[in-house]
Amino acid sequence: MINKVRETVLSILNKNNYGYLSPLDFNLYAKQAQLELFEDYFYDFNAQINKENARTSGTEFADITRQLSEVMDTFTQYKALNLTAGSEQTFALPNDWYTFVDVIWLQTCEGPPTTVIEEQAERVSEGSIYRLLKSNLTAPSKEFPAYVFTQQGRPVTVGPGDATYGDLGNQITLYPEAIAGCDLGCRLIYIRYPRDPNWTFSTLPSGEAFFNESVSTYQDFELPSSDENDLIMKILQYAGLSIREAAVTQFAAGQEAIDNQQNT
Amino acid sequence: MAYLTSYQYYENGGQQPENANWGSYQYVSLTDIVNNFLLMYQGNHSLINNEERYKILFHAKRAIQELNYDAFKETKVLQLDVCDTLRFVLPQDYVNWIRISLFKDGILYPLTENIQANSSDAYLQDHNCRILFDVDGNILKPHNSELDMSRIAGEGSIYLNEGSPYNGQTGWCIDGDWYFDYQMGDRFGLNTETAYDNPTFRVDQKAGVINFSSGMGGESCVVEYVSDGMENGDNSKVTVNKLFEDYVYAYIEYAILNSKYAVQEYIVRRTQKRKSALLRNAKIRLSNIHPGRLLMNLRGQSKWLK
Repeated sequence: MINKVRETVLSILNKNNYGYLSPLDFNLYAKQAQLELFEDYFYDFNAQINKENARTSGTEFADITRQLSEVMDTFTQYKALNLTAGSEQTFALPNDWYTFVDVIWLQTCEGPPTTVIEEQAERVSEGSIYRLLKSNLTAPSKEFPAYVFTQQGRPVTVGPGDATYGDLGNQITLYPEAIAGCDLGCRLIYIRYPRDPNWTFSTLPSGEAFFNESVSTYQDFELPSSDENDLIMKILQYAGLSIREAAVTQFAAGQEAIDNQQNT
Repeated sequence: MAYLTSYQYYENGGQQPENANWGSYQYVSLTDIVNNFLLMYQGNHSLINNEERYKILFHAKRAIQELNYDAFKETKVLQLDVCDTLRFVLPQDYVNWIRISLFKDGILYPLTENIQANSSDAYLQDHNCRILFDVDGNILKPHNSELDMSRIAGEGSIYLNEGSPYNGQTGWCIDGDWYFDYQMGDRFGLNTETAYDNPTFRVDQKAGVINFSSGMGGESCVVEYVSDGMENGDNSKVTVNKLFEDYVYAYIEYAILNSKYAVQEYIVRRTQKRKSALLRNAKIRLSNIHPGRLLMNLRGQSKWLK
């Protein structure tokens, strides 16, 4: 799809001799456009849920919620996380995570017999975890584990004395810790960011770039073909800004507005 | 939780203890309750959404605690010997007592509660009745108050024996023999708590003990009591009878909506009514009223009472 998108964008730009879009610029705008559309899926999903609750949504082919979730589901990933150095409860998150679907608390006790307990952990805020840990009825347990998401730069685990572990980037801390003699693990099911699109090319003797998808760094758009038009319009907006051509930006923004109106 | 095979049910799959799963089908676990609630009663199109699981867990446990206090017919029983201190330390998971009995010669003798104070704290005093303190300003206390010592030594109680001239008089039962003061004047009224041949008791909730009268020294005591069903914090053992399963869901739903901002009052009332109705239904079902039991009572109607 990426070559088709680029050709369309170049075609519109060249039509009135607005200018040429280099492969490097195209790739930058393509990434930006894809991210915008990707995030829009989540807001659209929420808007669609509101419509369903207001009973203004249909079923079958009119079931837009299902269609949106089908696209979002294609970005679902499963990964076993590793403990961060020096910690027994804190796990480093993958670089490409966008949002969590499930965090699984996993305790393995070597046998015989080896026992494995796994439960879905609940996200709680850093402000709540200390109160929860002191609560008789709701303290995190192996049946109802919890995790705290820790932003970059925040030490999360306090060790002996004043030692702190963490400060390692995005990470989560699971509660409760594993019982003595057992290991704590974490499995993450998450929505990842779409991979950066990369229009790869080879160069002709004349200096002209032509599309070459056999290059190892080639990456197509990951959004469905139905988003092709939106991608073109988004890229055109950025390209219009780049070449200081207001007409291009206005055209693309206008097309996008019409498209949005149709969707609502 | 998955259904058990017959082998798992009857013999715990060859593991010990063998009886771990006996009768388990009557109950639904706490984890099932919370999971089912999250799946069936919370979501984008439900009355409840975006609620933390720990809140649902809290209300589920509160519902189970309330059921344990007065709806379930599941009592715990603990038998312990009472020593010379005449104290029975309350069970670890004790919330309230149902019946306290003396177990002697294979027979349970239900004891009556003596609501008069039979135990107290005490401060040391000088001959001017001034309270004594240590160097840190703490009050000095004796090991036992005089009231306690009197009880342990054997306080008086009413002797009932129509064939005896001491019938109705205050006496002291020591090692099975009764001792009396010299008769002086008349007696008026009768203290019904102590006009009783068996030992008496008083539960000291704050101290966490049951204090008995002197006749209980060296005897065996059986305490029937209710707990809160929290199984000492082990969530895997917390269960609720299936007859109350729907009630627990309704309770959680009501408790959350009742404390949630901007929920219409008619919705709160609706969930409250549902919760109450389900509790009544479950209590009726648990009471097991059926023809067999009625027949049993009717058969006893012509029984001679001595």
